[in-house]
Amino acid sequence: MSAALVARGVALSFGPVAVLDGVDLDLHHGEVVALAGPNGAGKSTLLAVLAGDLSPDAGKVEVLGRPLEEWRLRELARHRAVLTQEHHISFPFPAQEVVRMGRAPWRGLAEEDRDDEIVAESMDATDTTALADRAFGLLSGGEKGRTSFARILAQRTGILMLDEPTAALDIGHQEAVLQRARREADNGSAVVVVLHDLSLAAAWSDRVVLLSYGRVASDGPPAEVLTAPLLSSVYDYPIDVIEHPVTGDLLVLADRQAAAKRKEDA
Amino acid sequence: MRRPSRRLLAGSLGLSLATVVLTACGPVLSSGPSASDEASTSAVPRLSEVTPLDDPRSWQGVVDVNLPDPEIDPVTDDPQPDLPVTVTDAQGTEVKVTDTSRILALDVYGTLSHTVFELGLGDNIVGRDVSSSFPEIADRPLVTHNGHELNAEAILELDPTVVLTDTSLGPWDVVLQLRDAGIPVVVTDSHRGLDNLKSLTQQIADALGLPAEGKALGQRIASAAEATEKEIVEVAPQDVTGKLRTIFLYVRGQAGVYYMFGEGSGADSLIEAAGGYDVSKEIDWKGMRPISDEGLIAAQPDVVLMMRHGLESIDGVDGLLERFPALAQTPAGENERIIAMDDDQVLSFGPRTSDVLNALAVALYAPDAM
Amino acid sequence: MTVSARPTTQPAGPSQRRTPQQASSGHRRITRSSILFLGLTIALFVSSLAAAGSGQLPIPFAEVVGSFFHHFGLDIGPMPTHPRGDATLWSVRFPRVAMAIVVGAALAVAGALMQGIFGNPLAEPSVVGVSAGAAVAAACAIVFSLTFAGDWTTAVCAFVGGLVTTLAVYLLSRADGRTEVVTLVLTGIAVNAVASALLALLMFLGDTQAREQIVFWQLGSLNGSRWQYVAVVAPMAAVGIFVACLSARSLDLLALGERSARHLGVNVERLRILLIVVVALLTAAAVSFCGIVAFVGLVIPHLIRMVTGPGHRILIPASALAGALALVIADTAARTLVAYADLPLGLLTSLVGGPFFFWLLRRTRRTAGGWA
Repeated sequence: MSAALVARGVALSFGPVAVLDGVDLDLHHGEVVALAGPNGAGKSTLLAVLAGDLSPDAGKVEVLGRPLEEWRLRELARHRAVLTQEHHISFPFPAQEVVRMGRAPWRGLAEEDRDDEIVAESMDATDTTALADRAFGLLSGGEKGRTSFARILAQRTGILMLDEPTAALDIGHQEAVLQRARREADNGSAVVVVLHDLSLAAAWSDRVVLLSYGRVASDGPPAEVLTAPLLSSVYDYPIDVIEHPVTGDLLVLADRQAAAKRKEDA
Repeated sequence: MRRPSRRLLAGSLGLSLATVVLTACGPVLSSGPSASDEASTSAVPRLSEVTPLDDPRSWQGVVDVNLPDPEIDPVTDDPQPDLPVTVTDAQGTEVKVTDTSRILALDVYGTLSHTVFELGLGDNIVGRDVSSSFPEIADRPLVTHNGHELNAEAILELDPTVVLTDTSLGPWDVVLQLRDAGIPVVVTDSHRGLDNLKSLTQQIADALGLPAEGKALGQRIASAAEATEKEIVEVAPQDVTGKLRTIFLYVRGQAGVYYMFGEGSGADSLIEAAGGYDVSKEIDWKGMRPISDEGLIAAQPDVVLMMRHGLESIDGVDGLLERFPALAQTPAGENERIIAMDDDQVLSFGPRTSDVLNALAVALYAPDAM
Repeated sequence: MTVSARPTTQPAGPSQRRTPQQASSGHRRITRSSILFLGLTIALFVSSLAAAGSGQLPIPFAEVVGSFFHHFGLDIGPMPTHPRGDATLWSVRFPRVAMAIVVGAALAVAGALMQGIFGNPLAEPSVVGVSAGAAVAAACAIVFSLTFAGDWTTAVCAFVGGLVTTLAVYLLSRADGRTEVVTLVLTGIAVNAVASALLALLMFLGDTQAREQIVFWQLGSLNGSRWQYVAVVAPMAAVGIFVACLSARSLDLLALGERSARHLGVNVERLRILLIVVVALLTAAAVSFCGIVAFVGLVIPHLIRMVTGPGHRILIPASALAGALALVIADTAARTLVAYADLPLGLLTSLVGGPFFFWLLRRTRRTAGGWA
């Protein structure tokens, strides 16, 4: 597995607040890495730094062995796609047009010939084909999320960065999106995904990077990172981790009894 | 609408002249299809033939001066233009005039067309501006609209061989368009005053290949003006403090446009020549600028000179005093001592200079004779 | 899409569904655009001919066409019988129609571009005060008798004024990479107020002729258009529209927001600066000789979007054509509605555009999710 993305010692402050503080991250081809952590831990900020939207105060980010700032934007766009949390659009473009925008980096290249096919496949994979002619701005939150994901897929990049791709999705579509991300990784892509649902992270990722106060609290296979003591400490809330009796999947649950007890104690 | 201030000067002249009752004194001279048929116009007596007031300051009331139509008296009945002629116009543009068979003479006061008639080429004039309404020209088609806006197509439709105009009409681009279309356009001096009676006449005459006639006409106009000025000097108070303090106020409509005309506007030399005391000179007022209420009070005019349509546009003297209460704080306001004169006559100078001066002097010092 | 744990979800099924629908929707779009372009081109041609054939000086239509062809050495059709007919057509009417085409195209494209940059369908040079800013600078050229660039002086000043104003509006009205409707409209009010004050000041300082020119600018008119002016305005408009067409794809991507556009390879900072310059160029082209003709850039792109959708590759050229068409028609109305009189063109466009703006504002506020 070669390194798709390497971040070393990334630090970033907004005013006096250190949002990221010495973060190291390696992302390899063929793996799905989940970024997890409580609100404000720096997940989205880290993703923005990895995507080149924010320049870190210290540290470096390399994409495919090349420092991020040396990439031309257009070329970079053929190697990595980013799904942001916000799915905003200024004009009433139909969903299909939005997905087609994902093909923009390939314009003028041989790959352009496959635009129609790829757009169709991406929409099909995200269950958005039926939305093709509807204005993106008028779609529901979940439909927007899926359409944006289809756009990211249509970009056909070796690196995928997904910021909460399952937000606003129903359980079926959540599964489908992550399943697709998993498949991309199995086909050799590198995927980093910000997830709040730790059970989902456990089910679909190879590694979990747990952030806490801008630092990496733990980095390893789900079974190693997603332990009750660590999570309870990082999230400052009693958390139980159990194995599904049949499938063996890790289930991360709030330990409400312990929480109630803790409240009483306090 | 486009309302450049210069065009505002006589903006509503297109309207028919309102009926103005003057004390009857002499026959109505107007004839022919002139708009002024509706108005009762009467000749103003010569200042030398009337008795001036003992105390012109105490006289009260509005004097509405409406000169009768001019009597066109060409310097020659059979002018023979010496063509082609090349002149350098007032803007330094060299213009070659080869044909004067179809003339347009256009300016904001109608001075140019009147002058062309006096030069004997009236029959060659093919159109008119809105200020030219004397009977001899009244049947020619209008080429200015919206007040004083030149209309290129209306002008070209008349196929003029030469156009005389100045910068008092716009848009200037229309003048340039006419030149683009191959029509010689001679731009004359836009200044109207006693100081350029001869030179303006000469500019017009030269452009039409009639330099000798121009000289004669200029001489005639200037001499008549001088003679009138002399009569005025004899009648008007010798002492500066005895002269009526006069301002020229330009008011138009309800919009609160409220200008005082000063040095270089023509109003300054007009007031002085008519025997008034030019207040604008005293306060060093240049050009045409809006005046403040306090400035007006400080000026303390005895008489306010106005354009008639300006006065009408604010409903006469009552409207004027209501609208500009500051005016009531001046002797002119207290006595309602307003002299209103036709918009296109009062500052036109040119061939009517003598008549205008005389009428104003009578209105100032012998208003009972009007 | 199914939830089942089917390992590979890429069967043949989807492609069956896809092909016919995609083909039909793509085909429909192309056909629609083709019809629009063809229709606009024909309408523009016809209306230009009609405009050239109507005016104060009666010239029969056949003579207009004859004069046109004779000018290019073709002995087709009769020449105007009126002695000044030919000269009138070529020195008064044709340059005016040409000016209407150029200015209409420039204004409509400037509007489409501004809406693209601001991500807001209410952005338009006159609404946000860029036209007024350009007029202020142009008025400076007149009042202070500047002539440093010959015929181009006014245009250059208008460009600089437009550029400064566009930048100011851009910086003042943006927050988090977007422009809220309220912020934009209020910024426009403020900028327009400052520009009006400066114009009033210049009117106070200027002489009669300058005042006349400033009033002319405030109302907008094509009266007095000459070939010399068209020769200044046309290249500015052409360059602006050309660059706008080249930027069309990037503008599409910009609709996703600055971040997403950057992720798709758009150099957002560079694009933004380039397009701000282009907007200033196009606005200056229109303002420098024709004054403030408001709302063209608002109404036209919006109508085009309703027909062909928001894609800028079609929107920009179609807006250019439709803007030209609209101004040719509006100007013909301005100079023929009242015999001899020349109604100010800006007055006509504002009469139509003002209510339209209001309607758009209401609509935009209602569907705030999309555009706020």
